[in-house]
Amino acid sequence: VNQWANVIRWELRTRMFLRTTEFLWQEGHTAHATHDEAVEEALRMLDVYAEVAEDVMAMPVIKGVKTRAEKFAGALRSYSIEAMMQNGLALQAGTSHDLGQNFGKAFNVQFQSKEGQLDTVWQTSWGVSTRLIGGLIMSHSDDKGLVLPPKLAPVKAVLVPIYRKDDEKGPVLEAAHRIAKEIGAKVDGREGTSPGAKFFHWERRGVPLVLELGPRDLASNNIVLKRRDTGTKEILPQSEIAARIPAVLDQMQKDLYQAAKDRLQSNTLLANSLSEVESILREVTAEKGCGKFVMAHIKDDPACDARLKEFKATIRNIPLTDQYDGPGKCIITGEPVDRRVVVAKAY
Amino acid sequence: MAESPITPRTRDFAAWYQDVVLQGDMAEPAEIVKGCMVIKANGYAVWELLQRELDTRFKATNHQNMYFPLLIPKSFLEKEAEHVEGFSPELAVVTIAGGKELEELTSSARLRKQSSAISSPSGSKAGATFRCW
Repeated sequence: VNQWANVIRWELRTRMFLRTTEFLWQEGHTAHATHDEAVEEALRMLDVYAEVAEDVMAMPVIKGVKTRAEKFAGALRSYSIEAMMQNGLALQAGTSHDLGQNFGKAFNVQFQSKEGQLDTVWQTSWGVSTRLIGGLIMSHSDDKGLVLPPKLAPVKAVLVPIYRKDDEKGPVLEAAHRIAKEIGAKVDGREGTSPGAKFFHWERRGVPLVLELGPRDLASNNIVLKRRDTGTKEILPQSEIAARIPAVLDQMQKDLYQAAKDRLQSNTLLANSLSEVESILREVTAEKGCGKFVMAHIKDDPACDARLKEFKATIRNIPLTDQYDGPGKCIITGEPVDRRVVVAKAY
Repeated sequence: MAESPITPRTRDFAAWYQDVVLQGDMAEPAEIVKGCMVIKANGYAVWELLQRELDTRFKATNHQNMYFPLLIPKSFLEKEAEHVEGFSPELAVVTIAGGKELEELTSSARLRKQSSAISSPSGSKAGATFRCW
Protein backbone atom coordinates (compact mmCIF):
# COMPACT_ATOMS: atom_id res chain seq x y z
CA VAL A 1 0.00 0.00 0.00
CA ASN A 2 0.99 3.59 -0.37
CA GLN A 3 -0.11 6.78 1.27
CA TRP A 4 0.32 10.43 0.31
CA ALA A 5 0.58 12.49 3.46
CA ASN A 6 2.16 15.32 5.39
CA VAL A 7 5.00 14.66 7.79
CA ILE A 8 6.35 16.57 10.76
CA ARG A 9 10.01 16.34 11.65
CA TRP A 10 11.47 18.73 14.15
CA GLU A 11 14.45 20.31 12.43
CA LEU A 12 16.87 22.89 13.74
CA ARG A 13 17.97 24.32 10.44
CA THR A 14 15.48 24.60 7.63
CA ARG A 15 15.65 25.28 3.89
CA MET A 16 12.58 25.48 1.68
CA PHE A 17 11.67 22.13 0.07
CA LEU A 18 14.94 20.57 1.25
CA ARG A 19 14.42 20.55 4.98
CA THR A 20 11.30 21.91 6.63
CA THR A 21 9.47 20.97 9.80
CA GLU A 22 6.43 19.89 7.84
CA PHE A 23 6.60 18.44 4.34
CA LEU A 24 4.62 16.27 1.94
CA TRP A 25 5.63 12.79 0.92
CA GLN A 26 4.48 9.36 -0.05
CA GLU A 27 5.37 6.25 1.86
CA GLY A 28 4.88 2.79 0.44
CA HIS A 29 4.75 -0.31 2.61
CA THR A 30 4.65 -3.92 1.54
CA ALA A 31 4.81 -7.29 3.28
CA HIS A 32 6.09 -10.47 1.72
CA ALA A 33 6.36 -14.18 2.48
CA THR A 34 10.07 -14.38 1.71
CA HIS A 35 13.11 -12.17 2.01
CA ASP A 36 13.91 -12.57 -1.69
CA GLU A 37 10.52 -11.18 -2.64
CA ALA A 38 10.99 -8.22 -0.31
CA VAL A 39 14.41 -7.38 -1.78
CA GLU A 40 13.00 -7.66 -5.29
CA GLU A 41 10.23 -5.25 -4.34
CA ALA A 42 12.59 -2.74 -2.69
CA LEU A 43 14.71 -2.71 -5.85
CA ARG A 44 11.69 -2.45 -8.13
CA MET A 45 10.56 0.71 -6.33
CA LEU A 46 14.08 2.14 -6.43
CA ASP A 47 13.89 1.65 -10.21
CA VAL A 48 10.56 3.48 -10.29
CA TYR A 49 12.14 6.43 -8.46
CA ALA A 50 15.17 6.43 -10.76
CA GLU A 51 12.91 6.38 -13.81
CA VAL A 52 10.86 9.35 -12.58
CA ALA A 53 14.03 11.26 -11.64
CA GLU A 54 15.67 10.70 -15.02
CA ASP A 55 12.79 10.59 -17.52
CA VAL A 56 10.45 13.10 -15.88
CA MET A 57 12.67 15.38 -13.79
CA ALA A 58 15.60 15.17 -16.27
CA MET A 59 17.80 14.58 -13.22
CA PRO A 60 20.39 11.79 -13.54
CA VAL A 61 20.82 9.67 -10.41
CA ILE A 62 23.11 7.00 -9.04
CA LYS A 63 21.33 3.96 -7.61
CA GLY A 64 23.07 2.30 -4.72
CA VAL A 65 23.12 0.80 -1.25
CA LYS A 66 23.55 2.96 1.86
CA THR A 67 26.41 2.08 4.21
CA ARG A 68 25.56 0.49 7.55
CA ALA A 69 26.18 3.84 9.25
CA GLU A 70 23.91 5.73 6.86
CA LYS A 71 21.04 3.28 6.41
CA PHE A 72 17.62 3.69 8.02
CA ALA A 73 18.02 2.30 11.53
CA GLY A 74 15.09 -0.08 11.18
CA ALA A 75 16.25 -1.58 7.89
CA LEU A 76 18.51 -4.49 7.00
CA ARG A 77 19.48 -2.52 3.93
CA SER A 78 18.60 0.88 2.56
CA TYR A 79 18.84 1.75 -1.12
CA SER A 80 18.96 5.31 -2.42
CA ILE A 81 19.11 7.40 -5.55
CA GLU A 82 21.60 10.26 -5.35
CA ALA A 83 21.62 13.28 -7.64
CA MET A 84 24.19 16.03 -8.09
CA MET A 85 23.06 19.62 -7.75
CA GLN A 86 24.65 22.47 -9.73
CA ASN A 87 26.93 23.29 -6.80
CA GLY A 88 28.20 19.72 -6.81
CA LEU A 89 26.46 18.76 -3.57
CA ALA A 90 24.62 15.46 -3.44
CA LEU A 91 20.90 15.22 -2.84
CA GLN A 92 19.37 11.97 -1.68
CA ALA A 93 16.29 12.00 -3.86
CA GLY A 94 14.55 8.81 -2.78
CA THR A 95 15.02 5.77 -0.58
CA SER A 96 13.75 2.21 -0.54
CA HIS A 97 14.28 -0.08 2.44
CA ASP A 98 14.54 -3.80 2.94
CA LEU A 99 13.14 -3.91 6.48
CA GLY A 100 13.67 -7.61 6.99
CA GLN A 101 11.46 -8.95 9.78
CA ASN A 102 12.26 -6.14 12.24
CA PHE A 103 8.85 -4.49 12.15
CA GLY A 104 6.99 -7.74 11.65
CA LYS A 105 8.51 -9.01 14.90
CA ALA A 106 7.97 -5.75 16.78
CA PHE A 107 4.30 -5.66 15.88
CA ASN A 108 3.68 -9.37 15.53
CA VAL A 109 2.62 -9.30 11.90
CA GLN A 110 2.34 -12.91 10.82
CA PHE A 111 0.98 -14.92 7.95
CA GLN A 112 0.12 -18.57 7.44
CA SER A 113 2.71 -20.32 5.29
CA LYS A 114 2.15 -23.08 2.76
CA GLU A 115 2.92 -25.63 5.45
CA GLY A 116 0.24 -24.11 7.65
CA GLN A 117 2.68 -22.53 10.08
CA LEU A 118 2.64 -18.95 11.25
CA ASP A 119 5.60 -16.96 10.02
CA THR A 120 6.65 -13.32 10.41
CA VAL A 121 6.34 -11.18 7.27
CA TRP A 122 9.25 -9.56 5.41
CA GLN A 123 8.61 -5.88 4.79
CA THR A 124 9.75 -3.02 2.60
CA SER A 125 9.12 0.70 2.74
CA TRP A 126 9.95 3.40 0.25
CA GLY A 127 9.41 7.12 -0.02
CA VAL A 128 10.01 10.38 -1.81
CA SER A 129 8.98 13.86 -0.74
CA THR A 130 8.62 17.49 -1.76
CA ARG A 131 12.42 17.53 -1.38
CA LEU A 132 12.38 16.37 -5.01
CA ILE A 133 11.19 19.85 -5.96
CA GLY A 134 14.30 21.31 -4.33
CA GLY A 135 16.36 18.87 -6.41
CA LEU A 136 14.50 19.85 -9.54
CA ILE A 137 15.17 23.54 -8.94
CA MET A 138 18.86 23.03 -8.18
CA SER A 139 19.34 20.81 -11.23
CA HIS A 140 18.13 23.11 -13.98
CA SER A 141 17.48 26.68 -12.88
CA ASP A 142 19.82 29.54 -13.82
CA ASP A 143 20.66 33.11 -12.84
CA LYS A 144 17.47 34.34 -14.52
CA GLY A 145 15.31 32.14 -12.30
CA LEU A 146 13.42 28.89 -12.43
CA VAL A 147 13.85 26.42 -15.28
CA LEU A 148 11.42 23.52 -15.38
CA PRO A 149 11.67 20.44 -17.58
CA PRO A 150 8.63 20.45 -19.90
CA LYS A 151 7.16 17.29 -18.37
CA LEU A 152 6.83 19.06 -15.00
CA ALA A 153 5.89 22.54 -16.23
CA PRO A 154 2.31 23.38 -15.19
CA VAL A 155 2.15 25.88 -18.07
CA LYS A 156 4.11 24.80 -21.14
CA ALA A 157 3.74 27.94 -23.25
CA VAL A 158 2.64 31.53 -22.75
CA LEU A 159 1.82 33.89 -25.61
CA VAL A 160 2.63 37.56 -25.09
CA PRO A 161 0.73 39.85 -27.47
CA ILE A 162 2.59 43.01 -28.48
CA TYR A 163 0.87 46.18 -29.62
CA ARG A 164 1.34 49.90 -29.23
CA LYS A 165 -1.57 51.57 -30.91
CA ASP A 166 -5.22 50.97 -30.25
CA ASP A 167 -5.90 49.88 -33.82
CA GLU A 168 -3.22 47.17 -33.47
CA LYS A 169 -4.66 45.79 -30.25
CA GLY A 170 -7.83 44.22 -31.69
CA PRO A 171 -6.25 42.17 -34.50
CA VAL A 172 -3.23 41.13 -32.37
CA LEU A 173 -5.39 39.92 -29.47
CA GLU A 174 -7.78 38.16 -31.80
CA ALA A 175 -4.92 36.26 -33.47
CA ALA A 176 -3.22 35.62 -30.12
CA HIS A 177 -6.29 33.93 -28.68
CA ARG A 178 -6.90 31.94 -31.85
CA ILE A 179 -3.33 30.60 -31.92
CA ALA A 180 -3.19 30.03 -28.17
CA LYS A 181 -6.36 27.98 -28.30
CA GLU A 182 -4.97 25.86 -31.09
CA ILE A 183 -1.74 25.07 -29.23
CA GLY A 184 -3.00 25.05 -25.63
CA ALA A 185 -1.00 28.10 -24.57
CA LYS A 186 -1.96 30.77 -22.09
CA VAL A 187 -2.32 34.38 -23.32
CA ASP A 188 -0.86 37.04 -21.07
CA GLY A 189 -3.33 39.77 -21.86
CA ARG A 190 -2.70 41.86 -18.75
CA GLU A 191 -3.34 45.53 -19.38
CA GLY A 192 -0.83 48.03 -18.09
CA THR A 193 2.07 45.58 -18.00
CA SER A 194 4.73 46.00 -20.66
CA PRO A 195 5.73 43.03 -22.87
CA GLY A 196 9.21 43.22 -21.36
CA ALA A 197 7.82 42.85 -17.84
CA LYS A 198 5.71 39.93 -19.01
CA PHE A 199 8.72 38.11 -20.53
CA PHE A 200 10.60 38.67 -17.28
CA HIS A 201 7.66 37.39 -15.24
CA TRP A 202 7.34 34.06 -17.12
CA GLU A 203 11.08 33.59 -17.36
CA ARG A 204 11.36 33.63 -13.57
CA ARG A 205 8.51 31.16 -13.24
CA GLY A 206 10.20 28.63 -15.50
CA VAL A 207 7.67 28.49 -18.33
CA PRO A 208 9.47 26.45 -21.04
CA LEU A 209 8.26 28.42 -24.07
CA VAL A 210 7.26 32.04 -24.53
CA LEU A 211 5.67 33.15 -27.81
CA GLU A 212 5.62 36.72 -29.07
CA LEU A 213 3.07 38.05 -31.51
CA GLY A 214 3.10 41.66 -32.72
CA PRO A 215 1.68 43.64 -35.65
CA ARG A 216 4.69 42.84 -37.86
CA ASP A 217 4.33 39.12 -37.17
CA LEU A 218 0.67 39.41 -37.95
CA ALA A 219 1.43 40.99 -41.32
CA SER A 220 3.95 38.29 -42.22
CA ASN A 221 1.92 35.42 -40.68
CA ASN A 222 4.83 34.60 -38.40
CA ILE A 223 5.25 34.07 -34.68
CA VAL A 224 8.33 34.18 -32.42
CA LEU A 225 9.16 31.24 -30.16
CA LYS A 226 11.66 31.54 -27.29
CA ARG A 227 13.06 28.64 -25.31
CA ARG A 228 13.57 29.22 -21.57
CA ASP A 229 16.68 27.10 -21.06
CA THR A 230 18.80 28.23 -24.04
CA GLY A 231 17.21 31.62 -24.63
CA THR A 232 17.17 30.88 -28.36
CA LYS A 233 14.50 32.55 -30.46
CA GLU A 234 13.07 31.24 -33.69
CA ILE A 235 10.65 32.91 -36.05
CA LEU A 236 8.31 30.55 -37.78
CA PRO A 237 5.10 30.62 -39.82
CA GLN A 238 1.97 30.55 -37.65
CA SER A 239 0.81 27.49 -39.57
CA GLU A 240 3.78 25.50 -38.27
CA ILE A 241 3.67 26.46 -34.61
CA ALA A 242 1.27 23.69 -33.49
CA ALA A 243 3.55 21.00 -34.86
CA ARG A 244 6.74 22.72 -33.71
CA ILE A 245 5.89 23.11 -30.02
CA PRO A 246 5.82 19.40 -29.04
CA ALA A 247 9.12 18.89 -30.88
CA VAL A 248 10.81 21.80 -29.08
CA LEU A 249 9.48 20.67 -25.68
CA ASP A 250 10.73 17.17 -26.35
CA GLN A 251 14.16 18.50 -27.32
CA MET A 252 14.30 20.72 -24.25
CA GLN A 253 13.48 17.77 -21.97
CA LYS A 254 16.35 15.79 -23.55
CA ASP A 255 18.80 18.71 -23.49
CA LEU A 256 18.18 19.41 -19.79
CA TYR A 257 18.85 15.78 -18.97
CA GLN A 258 22.00 15.72 -21.08
CA ALA A 259 23.33 18.94 -19.53
CA ALA A 260 22.77 17.52 -16.04
CA LYS A 261 24.37 14.23 -17.04
CA ASP A 262 27.42 16.01 -18.49
CA ARG A 263 27.76 18.05 -15.31
CA LEU A 264 27.58 14.91 -13.18
CA GLN A 265 30.24 13.23 -15.28
CA SER A 266 32.63 16.15 -15.41
CA ASN A 267 32.33 16.62 -11.63
CA THR A 268 32.95 12.99 -10.75
CA LEU A 269 36.56 12.26 -9.85
CA LEU A 270 38.53 9.21 -8.81
CA ALA A 271 40.65 9.30 -5.66
CA ASN A 272 43.08 6.71 -4.39
CA SER A 273 43.91 8.10 -0.97
CA LEU A 274 42.05 9.67 1.91
CA SER A 275 44.12 12.86 1.69
CA GLU A 276 43.12 13.18 -1.95
CA VAL A 277 39.42 12.84 -1.01
CA GLU A 278 39.86 15.40 1.73
CA SER A 279 41.66 17.92 -0.45
CA ILE A 280 38.90 17.72 -3.06
CA LEU A 281 36.03 18.09 -0.61
CA ARG A 282 37.34 19.99 2.40
CA GLU A 283 36.42 23.50 1.25
CA VAL A 284 33.13 22.59 -0.42
CA THR A 285 30.03 24.28 0.99
CA ALA A 286 26.45 24.73 -0.17
CA GLU A 287 27.15 28.45 -0.63
CA LYS A 288 30.48 28.30 -2.44
CA GLY A 289 29.79 25.16 -4.42
CA CYS A 290 32.60 23.37 -6.31
CA GLY A 291 31.34 20.06 -4.95
CA LYS A 292 32.35 16.78 -6.53
CA PHE A 293 31.40 13.14 -6.38
CA VAL A 294 34.59 11.37 -5.40
CA MET A 295 34.77 7.69 -6.29
CA ALA A 296 37.01 5.81 -3.88
CA HIS A 297 37.46 2.33 -2.48
CA ILE A 298 36.16 2.50 1.09
CA LYS A 299 34.98 -0.30 3.33
CA ASP A 300 31.39 -0.37 4.59
CA ASP A 301 32.43 0.16 8.19
CA PRO A 302 31.01 2.87 10.51
CA ALA A 303 34.59 3.80 11.47
CA CYS A 304 35.26 4.76 7.83
CA ASP A 305 32.06 6.84 7.66
CA ALA A 306 33.19 8.58 10.85
CA ARG A 307 36.58 9.39 9.35
CA LEU A 308 34.90 11.18 6.39
CA LYS A 309 32.58 13.07 8.77
CA GLU A 310 35.70 14.87 10.07
CA PHE A 311 35.54 17.03 6.96
CA LYS A 312 31.74 16.79 6.71
CA ALA A 313 31.68 14.38 3.78
CA THR A 314 29.59 11.22 3.63
CA ILE A 315 29.44 8.04 1.63
CA ARG A 316 26.33 8.72 -0.45
CA ASN A 317 25.96 5.13 -1.53
CA ILE A 318 27.68 2.07 -2.87
CA PRO A 319 26.54 2.05 -6.51
CA LEU A 320 24.66 -0.99 -7.75
CA THR A 321 26.52 -0.63 -11.06
CA ASP A 322 28.67 2.05 -12.63
CA GLN A 323 31.67 2.58 -14.87
CA TYR A 324 34.04 2.64 -11.88
CA ASP A 325 33.19 -0.92 -10.89
CA GLY A 326 36.04 -3.12 -9.75
CA PRO A 327 37.78 -4.26 -6.56
CA GLY A 328 40.53 -2.40 -4.75
CA LYS A 329 41.98 -1.69 -1.33
CA CYS A 330 40.11 0.48 1.17
CA ILE A 331 41.89 3.85 1.34
CA ILE A 332 41.28 3.96 5.11
CA THR A 333 41.72 0.41 6.39
CA GLY A 334 43.72 -1.13 3.54
CA GLU A 335 41.34 -4.07 3.39
CA PRO A 336 40.09 -5.42 0.05
CA VAL A 337 36.69 -4.06 -1.07
CA ASP A 338 34.51 -4.90 -4.05
CA ARG A 339 34.06 -1.48 -5.60
CA ARG A 340 34.35 2.29 -5.32
CA VAL A 341 31.74 4.22 -3.34
CA VAL A 342 30.39 7.75 -3.90
CA VAL A 343 31.81 10.27 -1.41
CA ALA A 344 30.39 13.81 -1.39
CA LYS A 345 29.07 16.64 0.66
CA ALA A 346 25.31 16.56 0.72
CA TYR A 347 22.09 18.36 1.60
CA MET B 1 5.38 39.36 -5.36
CA ALA B 2 7.82 42.15 -5.91
CA GLU B 3 10.48 41.21 -8.41
CA SER B 4 13.99 41.77 -7.19
CA PRO B 5 17.32 40.60 -8.58
CA ILE B 6 18.42 37.00 -8.30
CA THR B 7 21.81 36.40 -6.68
CA PRO B 8 24.17 34.77 -9.23
CA ARG B 9 24.93 31.11 -8.52
CA THR B 10 28.66 31.73 -8.46
CA ARG B 11 28.38 34.40 -5.78
CA ASP B 12 26.29 32.43 -3.29
CA PHE B 13 24.51 29.27 -4.39
CA ALA B 14 22.35 29.06 -1.26
CA ALA B 15 21.15 32.65 -1.67
CA TRP B 16 20.53 31.96 -5.38
CA TYR B 17 18.36 28.97 -4.47
CA GLN B 18 16.32 31.01 -2.03
CA ASP B 19 15.83 33.74 -4.65
CA VAL B 20 14.76 31.28 -7.36
CA VAL B 21 12.23 29.62 -5.04
CA LEU B 22 10.74 32.98 -4.05
CA GLN B 23 10.84 34.69 -7.45
CA GLY B 24 9.61 31.54 -9.20
CA ASP B 25 6.52 31.63 -7.00
CA MET B 26 7.30 28.13 -5.77
CA ALA B 27 7.21 28.63 -2.00
CA GLU B 28 7.83 31.10 0.77
CA PRO B 29 8.66 30.72 4.44
CA ALA B 30 5.56 30.52 6.63
CA GLU B 31 6.35 33.51 8.77
CA ILE B 32 3.88 32.58 11.49
CA VAL B 33 5.25 29.05 11.93
CA LYS B 34 8.98 28.73 12.27
CA GLY B 35 10.61 26.19 9.98
CA CYS B 36 7.54 25.65 7.83
CA MET B 37 6.84 26.80 4.27
CA VAL B 38 3.86 27.83 2.24
CA ILE B 39 3.95 25.92 -1.05
CA LYS B 40 2.67 28.45 -3.55
CA ALA B 41 0.52 27.81 -6.63
CA ASN B 42 3.40 27.28 -9.08
CA GLY B 43 5.20 24.97 -6.66
CA TYR B 44 2.10 22.99 -5.81
CA ALA B 45 1.25 22.56 -9.51
CA VAL B 46 4.72 21.05 -10.05
CA TRP B 47 4.15 18.73 -7.07
CA GLU B 48 0.81 17.64 -8.53
CA LEU B 49 2.46 16.72 -11.83
CA LEU B 50 5.20 14.84 -10.01
CA GLN B 51 2.62 13.05 -7.85
CA ARG B 52 0.74 11.97 -10.95
CA GLU B 53 3.88 10.55 -12.56
CA LEU B 54 4.73 8.61 -9.40
CA ASP B 55 1.21 7.49 -8.58
CA THR B 56 0.65 6.07 -12.07
CA ARG B 57 3.78 3.98 -11.64
CA PHE B 58 2.78 2.83 -8.13
CA LYS B 59 -0.57 1.63 -9.48
CA ALA B 60 1.19 -0.09 -12.38
CA THR B 61 3.31 -2.03 -9.87
CA ASN B 62 0.20 -3.14 -7.95
CA HIS B 63 0.11 -0.67 -5.09
CA GLN B 64 -3.04 0.96 -3.83
CA ASN B 65 -3.39 4.13 -1.83
CA MET B 66 -4.62 4.23 1.77
CA TYR B 67 -4.43 6.70 4.58
CA PHE B 68 -3.20 6.04 8.11
CA PRO B 69 -3.82 8.19 11.18
CA LEU B 70 -1.56 11.12 11.87
CA LEU B 71 -1.55 10.33 15.59
CA ILE B 72 0.23 7.29 16.94
CA PRO B 73 0.18 6.20 20.59
CA LYS B 74 3.53 6.81 22.20
CA SER B 75 3.73 3.20 23.37
CA PHE B 76 3.91 2.06 19.73
CA LEU B 77 6.95 4.17 19.08
CA GLU B 78 8.58 2.93 22.24
CA LYS B 79 7.98 -0.60 21.02
CA GLU B 80 9.70 0.20 17.78
CA ALA B 81 12.61 1.78 19.63
CA GLU B 82 13.08 -1.44 21.63
CA HIS B 83 13.32 -3.55 18.50
CA VAL B 84 15.25 -1.21 16.31
CA GLU B 85 18.72 -0.27 17.35
CA GLY B 86 19.68 3.33 16.72
CA PHE B 87 16.13 4.53 16.29
CA SER B 88 15.89 8.25 17.06
CA PRO B 89 12.63 9.92 16.07
CA GLU B 90 12.60 13.66 15.46
CA LEU B 91 8.95 13.61 16.35
CA ALA B 92 6.54 16.02 17.93
CA VAL B 93 4.34 14.96 20.81
CA VAL B 94 0.81 16.14 21.53
CA THR B 95 0.52 16.53 25.27
CA ILE B 96 -2.61 18.63 25.63
CA ALA B 97 -5.90 18.12 23.85
CA GLY B 98 -9.48 18.88 24.74
CA GLY B 99 -8.16 21.08 27.49
CA LYS B 100 -6.63 18.14 29.33
CA GLU B 101 -3.16 16.71 29.58
CA LEU B 102 -2.75 13.46 27.69
CA GLU B 103 -0.68 10.44 28.55
CA GLU B 104 -0.95 8.29 25.47
CA LEU B 105 -1.00 10.30 22.28
CA THR B 106 1.93 11.08 20.08
CA SER B 107 1.80 13.08 16.96
CA SER B 108 4.15 11.76 14.40
CA ALA B 109 3.34 11.62 10.80
CA ARG B 110 6.70 10.12 10.32
CA LEU B 111 6.15 6.56 11.26
CA ARG B 112 2.72 5.61 10.18
CA LYS B 113 4.02 2.18 9.37
CA GLN B 114 2.96 1.24 12.85
CA SER B 115 -0.60 1.65 11.70
CA SER B 116 -0.10 -1.21 9.32
CA ALA B 117 0.63 -3.46 12.26
CA ILE B 118 -2.86 -2.74 13.56
CA SER B 119 -4.38 -4.08 10.39
CA SER B 120 -2.11 -7.09 10.17
CA PRO B 121 -3.04 -9.67 7.62
CA SER B 122 -4.49 -12.90 8.92
CA GLY B 123 -5.48 -16.20 7.39
CA SER B 124 -3.59 -15.45 4.22
CA LYS B 125 -2.38 -18.24 2.03
CA ALA B 126 1.21 -19.18 1.54
CA GLY B 127 3.32 -17.41 -1.03
CA ALA B 128 0.93 -14.52 -1.17
CA THR B 129 2.46 -11.10 -1.26
CA PHE B 130 0.64 -8.75 1.00
CA ARG B 131 0.93 -5.78 -1.27
CA CYS B 132 -2.44 -4.57 -0.12
CA TRP B 133 -3.40 -4.62 3.48
